[in-house]
Amino acid sequence: MTAAAPVRRGQLSPRAKRKALAGWAFVVPALLIYAFFFVQPFFYSIYYSLTDWNGADPVKQFVGLGNYIKLAGDSLLWQALGHNLIWVIIGTVSPIAIGLLLGVLIWTGALGRVLFRTIYFLPVVLSEVVIAIIWNWIYHPLFGAVNQILRGIGLDHLARGWLGDPQTALLALLMTAIWSYYGFCFVIIMAGLQNVDISLVEAATIDGANGWQRFIHVIVPQLSHVLTMITAFTLIGGFNVFGIVFVMTQGGPGTATQVIATYTYRKAFQESQVGYGAALSMVMTLLSLATSYIFIRLRERQEQ
Amino acid sequence: MQNTSTVQEWSRMGARGPRQSAVRDRLLRYIGSLLRYAILIFFTLVCITPLFWVIASSLKTTGQIAANPLGFPTEIRWDNYIEAWTVGRFGKYFKNSVIVSIPIVTFVILLASLAGYGLARLRFHGSNFVFVLFLLGLMVPFQSIMIPLFYILKDIRFLGTYWAMIVPSIALGMPFSIFFMRAYFSGLPQELGDAAEIDGCNEFSVYWRVMLPLAGPAVSALVVLQFMGAWNAFLLPLIYMQKEEIRPLVLGLMFFRSRYTQNYPLTMAGAAIVMVPIVIVYLVFQRRFVQGLTAGAVK
Repeated sequence: MTAAAPVRRGQLSPRAKRKALAGWAFVVPALLIYAFFFVQPFFYSIYYSLTDWNGADPVKQFVGLGNYIKLAGDSLLWQALGHNLIWVIIGTVSPIAIGLLLGVLIWTGALGRVLFRTIYFLPVVLSEVVIAIIWNWIYHPLFGAVNQILRGIGLDHLARGWLGDPQTALLALLMTAIWSYYGFCFVIIMAGLQNVDISLVEAATIDGANGWQRFIHVIVPQLSHVLTMITAFTLIGGFNVFGIVFVMTQGGPGTATQVIATYTYRKAFQESQVGYGAALSMVMTLLSLATSYIFIRLRERQEQ
Repeated sequence: MQNTSTVQEWSRMGARGPRQSAVRDRLLRYIGSLLRYAILIFFTLVCITPLFWVIASSLKTTGQIAANPLGFPTEIRWDNYIEAWTVGRFGKYFKNSVIVSIPIVTFVILLASLAGYGLARLRFHGSNFVFVLFLLGLMVPFQSIMIPLFYILKDIRFLGTYWAMIVPSIALGMPFSIFFMRAYFSGLPQELGDAAEIDGCNEFSVYWRVMLPLAGPAVSALVVLQFMGAWNAFLLPLIYMQKEEIRPLVLGLMFFRSRYTQNYPLTMAGAAIVMVPIVIVYLVFQRRFVQGLTAGAVK
């Protein structure tokens, strides 16, 4: 395949043959474990989603697209998807906006950038359960910081059980998610800013562009690569969000914060509707694949 | 801003002389940088204050928490940690987390660097297909495979053992790690391997003696990322590691909290026990964290 030409048609030189064999030997251990514990269950997921199974019966009854037809009429699913939609919109725009703001403020000349970066990224390394416990505490009706502060500034009437109120629970969870994530956006954006051509920014300044115009017309376009990357990443994360919701509210009160991942978990592992749960997990799979596909296409277009 | 004191600027400012405009500029710049640091420091406090509350509450008594939930502890109570470690069984969970994290990180690095090397340096028939197969794994969330994986682990009798977390985590770590290692190996100069080969090294010793040592930065970035992933993993152990004796820290913390909902000091001590090791690893290796996470994002 390289400089060593094939000896005869269809036959590789001994060196190329040895290389190819070695190549397989290097890849096979990873491939085996990946095939068995990732690829195989993936295909089983598709199969399970076409059956009615409670997880215990020896027989999985094949129902064709039955589960998917049931999905279409499942109001709880649509409600959960609605929550995911709110989640991806607010939960994508806000951390990226904060990350951009902080990134540009530091990039245009602030001291202590390593210190700020260290601190902003800190919440990103924490476990979801720790984050959930911290924020349950912050939202605590009596001791929580939010209500304490509201009472402190005389806005007692606004104090409430933020996670117990269906009106505020989802937004309260989103605040938590944003808190734990903007540092990630910031770090990626900072990395992107290192590649922004500063002479273009200076040229725009000389041409009389104000700060906002420079930001929108000069800096953001040069960051488009990085911004599409984090957007795709955050969208996929938002469609699959589980930990924070599960630990903080279990989808409640009622179903006010149920998202598709917590709903799937409930169906498959708590209510033993394995087939139906698998169909729900396929919805998540499709959303993630579609987002990735759009991202890849955008990337290709940017590269041209 | 720097070039504003030009002749044109002066004329535009009319009656005001150059001196006044310079004063105005300096004032504006001063206000600007005040605002800049105000915003930066605000978000710094937003990040840090909640973590302070965890540590502060973990050192208080329940009574102190009720009286003074947000301030410093008036009297430091280390006993909360001892109690959490023993009575709360966080010591046991800590050990479990270490037991699963070490093999996960070791095998992910080993298998992914082998495969990444094979895909980057040894072109073989079908290598593109294999690479695409791994890449597809980057787009498929864990939720897509979690249900059948439960029954697979049950069938091979892994459920209820540490293997139920170790082996699937290795498989789940493959796509990103292989992608990452392959990119790094592709960037190393080809001549180094060729030279070693001429010196009589076989493919494996080229990898092991020459290329892997050169990939040190990539390997260490991957180590910290994989360690963080294993240490913080939640959904996977929630499904496969429910048995009390094998619960990792994060899961132990969740069950502890739902059992002792009113015991804030111990819950916070538990949260601190989960949080502190990963924060230390982060602070020590933060450059590696950032390198690992930004790889691929920025070309």
